[in-house]
Amino acid sequence: MNIEQVLAQAEGLLAPWNKETIRPESNRLDVVIVADDLRAAVTALHDAHWGYLSAITGMDLGTASGQLEALYHFCNGPAITSLRIRLPRGNEAILPSIADILPPASFFEREMQEMLGFKFSGLNISERLFLPDDWPENVYPMRADFTLDQAAPVAGRHADELPEQGVVGGNTFVIPIGPQHPALKEPGHFEFTVDGEIVTAARMRLGYAHRGIEKAAESRNWIQNLYLFERVCGICSHTHALAYSLGVEKLAQVEAPPRAQAIRELVAGLERVHSHLLWLGVAAHEAGFDTLFMYSWRDRETVMNLLEQITGNRVNYSANLLGGVKCDIGSEQAKAIKEGLTYLETRIRHYLEVVTTDVMFLNRTRGIGTISFAEAVKFGLLGPTARASGLVRDVRTEAPYGAYTHFPVSSVTETNGDLEARCVVRLKELLVSCFTMRTIVDNLPEGPLTTRMPRKIPAGETISRIEAPRGELFYFIKSNGGETPARVHIRTPSLCNWVSVLEKAVGRQLADVPMLIAGMDPCFSCNDRLVTVARPGSRETWSWSRLREYGIEYYKR
Amino acid sequence: MNTFTSLITLLVFPAGLTLVLVGMFYEWVDRKLVARFQNRIGPRWFQPFADAVKLFAKEQIKPAIINPYLFFGLPVAALAGALTAALYVPLMGLNPASSFPGDLIVTIYLLSLPTMCVGLAGWNTSSRFSLIGATRTLTQLFAYEAPFLLAMLGPALVAGSWQINTINSYTQNHWLIFTQPVGFIVALIGLMGKLELPPFDAPEAETEIVAGALTEYSGRGLAMFKISRSVELIVGLSLVSAFYLGGLNGIPSFLLKSIALLLVMSMFQVLLTRLRIDQTVGLWWRFGAILVLAQLLVMIVWKGFAL
Repeated sequence: MNIEQVLAQAEGLLAPWNKETIRPESNRLDVVIVADDLRAAVTALHDAHWGYLSAITGMDLGTASGQLEALYHFCNGPAITSLRIRLPRGNEAILPSIADILPPASFFEREMQEMLGFKFSGLNISERLFLPDDWPENVYPMRADFTLDQAAPVAGRHADELPEQGVVGGNTFVIPIGPQHPALKEPGHFEFTVDGEIVTAARMRLGYAHRGIEKAAESRNWIQNLYLFERVCGICSHTHALAYSLGVEKLAQVEAPPRAQAIRELVAGLERVHSHLLWLGVAAHEAGFDTLFMYSWRDRETVMNLLEQITGNRVNYSANLLGGVKCDIGSEQAKAIKEGLTYLETRIRHYLEVVTTDVMFLNRTRGIGTISFAEAVKFGLLGPTARASGLVRDVRTEAPYGAYTHFPVSSVTETNGDLEARCVVRLKELLVSCFTMRTIVDNLPEGPLTTRMPRKIPAGETISRIEAPRGELFYFIKSNGGETPARVHIRTPSLCNWVSVLEKAVGRQLADVPMLIAGMDPCFSCNDRLVTVARPGSRETWSWSRLREYGIEYYKR
Repeated sequence: MNTFTSLITLLVFPAGLTLVLVGMFYEWVDRKLVARFQNRIGPRWFQPFADAVKLFAKEQIKPAIINPYLFFGLPVAALAGALTAALYVPLMGLNPASSFPGDLIVTIYLLSLPTMCVGLAGWNTSSRFSLIGATRTLTQLFAYEAPFLLAMLGPALVAGSWQINTINSYTQNHWLIFTQPVGFIVALIGLMGKLELPPFDAPEAETEIVAGALTEYSGRGLAMFKISRSVELIVGLSLVSAFYLGGLNGIPSFLLKSIALLLVMSMFQVLLTRLRIDQTVGLWWRFGAILVLAQLLVMIVWKGFAL
């Protein structure tokens, strides 16, 4: 089936509730419906197995129009169908919750509830996921008329003043993991209720690394935003900048030259190697196998050095420009890359052998946290976590973008769905990546590195999906034709994969929990990016000079 | 032996101060070996000493909901237990400071005292990490204690004595590692369980329960627990090498044999993934205890025929 047929099928399924059909892009079909029909429409798509819910975007259309808009994006290969619902602004923007039909929706809905003030009937979770505890009620940071003055902290609700949850009593008590905990490399908060060693309940809280990036993007111009989005995540910085560049280029109807596209894929491949090796080390450390941790991080230095040699940076590579790339691959770099890849391939093969044959390590991974294919579909898992359960969710093969049409990769899948399968999938994926990178270096297209980009981007909406190391990264970009974007919505793969941890931890031993968390390769920085931190009168508001003085005083002692 | 020399023996050499310093040195050897196996540089030679000095100089923070007598008394009891156990073993290959028939049993019980203290210390706080850690420490104690005792019993049986010194002189002509290999392996691995070294570090698995039972400890208390563990290491190494590696009869033989043992132990630490607490218990009771019991049975039958 081609895209048109797939979209026609969706249109047919949604016909009973269809108020208006819009075709914003060749691969997209937007169907306008009313809020009351939402559950019926979602059920129709779900029952027909038409794609999966990729994200829900909430938008404030401004005080002038007096409306909020919610977009439910369903992806099926390259085809995307969005259900559009407009609701009045104010406090009566009520949508029916679809979290019982599609579990991952609960995170999307909670995000919209906190950020934009949508209400969801049937979503009985009032505790906050992202916003601080002392954030005032009925103040929504992503609303167009939000000002910082509204966000003065509520007295008595600071985290230090709230009663501690889960105090010891009886046989069950709550083990807090985070925000600061040796198992977590980034701040997040989990509470696992344990009965002896067995976990009986799990809940989580995010938002400790919120930086307000989506809000900040609305007040920066298109080029500034490239550098902002690169900083969403420290591990997959290139994929964020790439998703944004591809989206903006699509809006401006500009295509980056072939050489630039190939270099983008090359850097993305190197980034995947660095990210997965980092993950392998963390997973081994969580299991208590520090030797594997030390060795895999030593070998990761090879790829870090390659990235530094190509782009000049180790973390935020800044390889992308709107309309191209900054860095070229010369013969010297090409040689270094090929040598590095040869070394990495032998090491990755060795690690593959270790994770599949080391009996003690298998004790901690084989048969643990098993997610069946059906569960993977139900939870809406993405990336390697889904592929370990046999579910192919890989934008690189499903909807190839950029240079992936010329230098294709194959998706690696496993069927067991346990922690061992997740290790194997990631490592095998690296071997595929290494092979593709070698092909790119050998067959790099000649030509310029950049094309000209307009300063103002034509009005329109676009969806840019790319495969980050952790799964599908989703960017929704809306332009009003000005120098700044009207709305950028990011849905990172970690947000979709959380369900797998919370569902699978229950009934397991406490000792398996860090492995389960690590198993989906969570990235908290990616998840958290929405809130403005500096608030008037807040305890956290420190000026740079004061912070500097504090630092100097601290080290004088 | 006059009072003065007894005091020197107890406080300076070979027990007391020297023992503590040697314990720290061995801790460094262990850390350095593990680091080199893991492709790291590892600490400098004075790191354990520096750590101890630093901890002793620091304030000991007292948590809110505790029994203060237990909180401050337990580290002292742990250290005292480990140091007392050292009196009955041939430290540095010299004659034990004190010896009487049956001191083997006393030593083994004294060696369990630090672990008991750690368990109690974890139970004494309201920290949930400490509680889980304490539960795991005590669970692990019940797992390895019986097999370890049985592994110590083997040499006692062939030497026909419960006195460590007598067994030590017997083993100087008999390398029991060859005649009782199972006992040797169980004793060595039991020692690793006692010291909560990887892969038996579930009681202090940092990725789950931070520092386990000792999470709330700082300053002097933490230093004393750490030192008692170093002392336990020396005592344990002395016991195992005296019983299984041809006995100890001087400082060179002590250094050679105990460091060889430490090398093997650090290899185990590097090669193995941490066991979950249920896996630890399963391992000891399903394999350790049964194997060593089978060996004991064979020995008893053998002895019966020989007589």
